[in-house]
Amino acid sequence: MPARRSGWLLVSSGAAVAGLLMSASSESQSSIADARAGAPSAVSVTVYRDPYRASGSIDLDRLAGFALITETRAVDLREGESWLRFEGVADGIEPESAIVTGLDDGIIDKNRDAAVLSPSALVAAAVGKPLLLTRTNPKTGRVEHLPGTVLSDAEGGVMFRSEQGIEALRCSGLPETLSFDGTQGLRAHPTLSVRIRASRTLIETATLSYLAHGFDWAADYTATLSPDERSMDLGAWVTLANGNGTGFPEARTQVVAGRVNRESGEVEPIDIGGPIVANCWPRGSTSDVPMPLQLDLRSPNPRQRGFMKAAAAPIATGLQEIMGDARRVQQEQLGDLKLYRIPEPTTLASRQSKQIRLLDRTAVPVVTVYGIELADDENSPGTVGGVPASRYLRTMNTEANRLGIPLPSGHVEIFAIRQGRHLLVHESSLRDLAVNEEVEIGLGPSPDVRVDATGTGRSHRVEISNARAAPIGFELKLRLRDGAHIVDANRKVETKDGRPIFRLTLPPHSTAVVRYQTAVSP
Amino acid sequence: MKGGRQRIEFEGVSAQIRPETVSLSAPDIAIVEQNFDFDLLTPAKLMEKAVGRDVTIVRVNPATGAETREQAEVLATNGGVVLKIGQRIEVLRDDGLPVRVIFDKVPDNLRARPTLSVTIDSARAGTRAASLSYLTPGLGWKADYVALYDEAAGKIDVQGWITLTNSSGTTYENAQTLLVAGSPSQAASPGVTAWRPPIRRPTLEQAGTESGSRERLGDFYLYPLPERTTIANLQTKQVGFLDVHGVPAEHGYEFRNHWLATSDQPLSAKSIYRFSTSAHAGLGDQLPAGTLRFYLRDKRGEPQFIGESRIDHTPMGSTLSLATGDAFDVKVKPVVDKRTRVNERGWTTDMRYELSNALDRPVTVTVLQDGLWGDSRISAESQKSTRRSADTAEWTVSIPANGRTVLTASFDTRF
Repeated sequence: MPARRSGWLLVSSGAAVAGLLMSASSESQSSIADARAGAPSAVSVTVYRDPYRASGSIDLDRLAGFALITETRAVDLREGESWLRFEGVADGIEPESAIVTGLDDGIIDKNRDAAVLSPSALVAAAVGKPLLLTRTNPKTGRVEHLPGTVLSDAEGGVMFRSEQGIEALRCSGLPETLSFDGTQGLRAHPTLSVRIRASRTLIETATLSYLAHGFDWAADYTATLSPDERSMDLGAWVTLANGNGTGFPEARTQVVAGRVNRESGEVEPIDIGGPIVANCWPRGSTSDVPMPLQLDLRSPNPRQRGFMKAAAAPIATGLQEIMGDARRVQQEQLGDLKLYRIPEPTTLASRQSKQIRLLDRTAVPVVTVYGIELADDENSPGTVGGVPASRYLRTMNTEANRLGIPLPSGHVEIFAIRQGRHLLVHESSLRDLAVNEEVEIGLGPSPDVRVDATGTGRSHRVEISNARAAPIGFELKLRLRDGAHIVDANRKVETKDGRPIFRLTLPPHSTAVVRYQTAVSP
Repeated sequence: MKGGRQRIEFEGVSAQIRPETVSLSAPDIAIVEQNFDFDLLTPAKLMEKAVGRDVTIVRVNPATGAETREQAEVLATNGGVVLKIGQRIEVLRDDGLPVRVIFDKVPDNLRARPTLSVTIDSARAGTRAASLSYLTPGLGWKADYVALYDEAAGKIDVQGWITLTNSSGTTYENAQTLLVAGSPSQAASPGVTAWRPPIRRPTLEQAGTESGSRERLGDFYLYPLPERTTIANLQTKQVGFLDVHGVPAEHGYEFRNHWLATSDQPLSAKSIYRFSTSAHAGLGDQLPAGTLRFYLRDKRGEPQFIGESRIDHTPMGSTLSLATGDAFDVKVKPVVDKRTRVNERGWTTDMRYELSNALDRPVTVTVLQDGLWGDSRISAESQKSTRRSADTAEWTVSIPANGRTVLTASFDTRF
């Protein structure tokens, strides 16, 4: 009995179990007009960093940040009920975050259909429906169009019934293909739509805003050390990237610094589609069992496990566009975050990374410090031999130091000028630094300053050698075992961040020896 | 239905139906048996079922294109199809040449989709309404909230949406839909151990005691969708259920330090928003579990996203405290200043918390020190603490605009 189902559905959140009641009584659904919202205008894109990425540059192969996209669209609806479709939204849209405003209160529901048009989806939708099988005789070229019905597409094999009988698709060795009657309502991309009931003809401007993944941004700093290593010039770019297949022309663009909380919720269901798989019966000899053709079209994003998960925005490749110095971002406070606004609308194309100047500061005073941290616990008794010490650049983020601005996390390249050329010294990273915080940029290990440490239980001897032609400041930090403290030392010991520290100055081409004894309280 | 014993097939049920939960009811029928057939129609199965039967084979000559039609008996399908044509035994397409195989019928129990059938004994013939109910996985819902915070007024506007997802493989047309908030317990499937979620920052500060006007099912709340709707396969559907404006909300900071955690660089405090779900000066509704997204207007008046937080099922009258992310300008550096072993069974730990504020207005930070296990004592502190629980001490620390505050405390512990 092909009765129209008119049932009810009971859905519970946690358990995801539904009950369905079907009855033969039927209630016909009134016809709904199909309307399309106009092309986006007045687009705004705000890019947020990947909240779980360590400080440093963005990775174009793995853009795990996100963006808030706001756009306005012209809407023309007739009186009554309509499906209003929004086309051309970002592929990485998180549909549950979509907000539509400006359409009075007539919205009944918001929908995102993730069943996309693909060969396998066409066959699945055609089961039981009439279509044409086209078979070409390879010798004579004679083309035979055979009307019939797909009986099944289960487990990747397609069965077809025509007036000639029942056959399996592509099992005969002859070229065979199916041609379908319409696209069964499937579309190229997941579609966002709202069902709306208008009390009058509506010609309005609707605002759509949503979060979408497949974006990221970071600050990229270049620090150029002066020849005397007492100051540096600090410049920075905002590097942002869009890994989506959708571009945002003439968009107002912002980036937000600071870590925002994201919940790693369930990803909405999506069917990424696939080819028509035509598995056959075993044929030929026993050794000739063909493997079915199975392509994995899912995106290899490690965050997304399981089958019914959304594909991430595709891997970014593409052009880099660098802008002139004149255009610099403007910073403003956004709650507890920092918002950087790109001063004029810009086009953020699909799969593009873009750089805008963040800041330029010259002659920032810095101090170069050498140091090492020695652990003295059960696992390592604090013995090292000939280890190069680390080198740091230090300054305070204050106006007196020609800084005094929030410094968003990013990658730092440190250059020194020799013979008029910029030479790369080291690459490092910065965390989010507020005003008045200490800035410390690692310069990597220094082969000229080495540390030898020997320890016998409680007595320790540390020898530091300086092969440089300049005096250096050196910090020896100790990480003692729980409850231990220094009882005797041949030099002045201080405490920094709850840990003992020796601060030394080594003349050029010299060595210094630190001796200390530790004891554990009772 | 006809009178007497008969079989009724139900097409279009959920592709993930749990057949053991099916029940059919209609007047004047008795159920004889319920069957769920999952033998699917595939080329290989059809060939397998054709063993011992005749099929038609059509050979296509690759040189001339001529077709030759023959009858063949399928003898076996083990790794290759063995056919008997007349008195000859052949292996199907062993030579790689095109051969079409035509079957004249499909066995009854092979189907395109798993099919539910019920054999009934009907007392009388005629059309009548029957209802079929079953459980299926693949359908689920959660709530999504949008909160717009007005920084100047200290108020939020909250909209709530029910987000329904369908990945059950079937479209439910024109369905009357009822959502149940709460988690009916289900027996775990065999071999599946229950997954325990990791410990999260608690969001419910005080559980409410008010009753709402929503319909209930036992201890759960029901959210009926206002009208019949079609829930397509792979569709996400959202329906609004809450729209409240101008609810008072507080903004603050929180920093939680774990026992003996020490840092040589300042760590961001969490940015916290706190509001009530009470009928007075609150949202005035119970909130189904879901995600609350916070927005704040930027200098141009455009709403910008500032973070989100998950909430659990929240009764009406509760106080929620939600973290949206890390504060850029408010930081805390926790330092273990000194650990002294007092005697065989006791330690003294001196903690210093260096708080800094780069904002141009004073802020208040709630500093929490956990891991106190109940038998720890605070012997000295720079300002009075409250013991939030046996395990956690709490200080409310003010930091002046663009300033710093140092909080110190000494703990007497046995470890």
